[in-house]
Amino acid sequence: MLSTRARLIFTYQEVIGTQTHTHRGNRRAETHFRKVLFGAACDVEMKIDEKVVAFFESCNSPVDKEGYLYKKGEIKTSYQKRWFVLKGNLLFYKDRQADRDPLGVIVLEGCTVQLCESEEQFAFSLVWSEPGLRTYKFAAEDQACQESWIKALLSANHNYLALLVMDMEKKYKEALAAFSADQTNPFNMPNFNTTEPGYSAAYYRQTSTPSLFPVSAVGAGPGPMLQTPAISPKTASKRSPKLWPKRSANVMPVNTPAPPVGEWAGICIEEFSKLHEDFGKEVKELISNWSKRKRAGEIVQQENLIDFG
Amino acid sequence: MRFNEKELVFLSRQPSEMAAELGMRGPKKGDVVKKRLVKLVVNFLFYFRTDEEEPIGALLLEQCRVEREDSQSFSVAFLDEAERKYLFECDSEEQCGEWIDSIIKASYEFMRKNLIFYRTEIHRLTGKDPLEQYGISDETRFQVSNGLQLTPRDAASL
Repeated sequence: MLSTRARLIFTYQEVIGTQTHTHRGNRRAETHFRKVLFGAACDVEMKIDEKVVAFFESCNSPVDKEGYLYKKGEIKTSYQKRWFVLKGNLLFYKDRQADRDPLGVIVLEGCTVQLCESEEQFAFSLVWSEPGLRTYKFAAEDQACQESWIKALLSANHNYLALLVMDMEKKYKEALAAFSADQTNPFNMPNFNTTEPGYSAAYYRQTSTPSLFPVSAVGAGPGPMLQTPAISPKTASKRSPKLWPKRSANVMPVNTPAPPVGEWAGICIEEFSKLHEDFGKEVKELISNWSKRKRAGEIVQQENLIDFG
Repeated sequence: MRFNEKELVFLSRQPSEMAAELGMRGPKKGDVVKKRLVKLVVNFLFYFRTDEEEPIGALLLEQCRVEREDSQSFSVAFLDEAERKYLFECDSEEQCGEWIDSIIKASYEFMRKNLIFYRTEIHRLTGKDPLEQYGISDETRFQVSNGLQLTPRDAASL
């Protein structure tokens, strides 16, 4: 038996589901309303700085993928066409591509991507497997679109990129070492110190190694910018190659024990190559499952569109 | 804007190396410094009232400027400085520096830029594209020309 509050929430959600959200005022009221009702009954009242999130969506930072998808409503079971914009680990959605403000955002952390049983063709879902967490269901226009989105969403999480960057950093070190082995002069690590223009001297910790990446922490621009230094072994200063920075991203260091098994449905893989392999298997499995089902439906099996080499 | 709140709360419970009680002041006029448990998970900064399990709020750490304000405090600013600047007070200069470093490096966009930097450099040094072995060298999100500038000497020229 639902409490009055719970019933109110469901009714309200159904109501807002039918509106077209074209007026910003409505949305603000909806958000406030939702915070009050939803929060009260479910004890979740976390604020998110919406202006910051909205700015990230609209700014000229790279878009990883965008396009129309059908999204199943939260309470209503019908699929509604929405314009999706994937930036990093955030999946924004709007009514139409031309809309200025997104209707919502899905943070892609802690979820997996799966094919799902659906009356809709080319369906897939984002699944959080913890109790109480939801599943988002989508449907694409065609198989190519479906596969492309699945692939993009699988690798959108922060950890994937973090591991990839770590892997690249390792390869860079190796390349530098190999490069220096060819030189007659002893190699010295390029000096990425604070005298570069645009740096804030205060950014660097006094006692530790300067970061490998010449980062301008202070900028008049929209965000931290990476400056590519003019690397030339001949002009580099005398700095020991041993002074490598610890890590470039917020990941578990390779030498520490694995984190306690618990709530985290994410990955404890430490090598990007293993992660990449697993993704490849996952996508191949998804495709082969889809293909098996389609064979039963007498549709010609298409070639495997994703080649993992 | 709707967002997957419960899933974000779930994220806030994940292990993090950067979690500490800091003084935190919000961006609005009249906001005062309050003691908060601040936790960095992926590119989000969560903050909790001390001893509470559910975070009060979450800050997306993209398109932000992180600056040292004085020896023990730093700020995270978004959009126009006046509009959105969060202040954090640490216990030591060293802790302050660690937070600044961690927050900058947590940004997805920062990681992407570094990836492109490494890729470019490895290619320059070895003649090979390191992403090819993973079959992801064609992905638009790792392309150099993807709206990113790699050599701005002067940020004002952007």
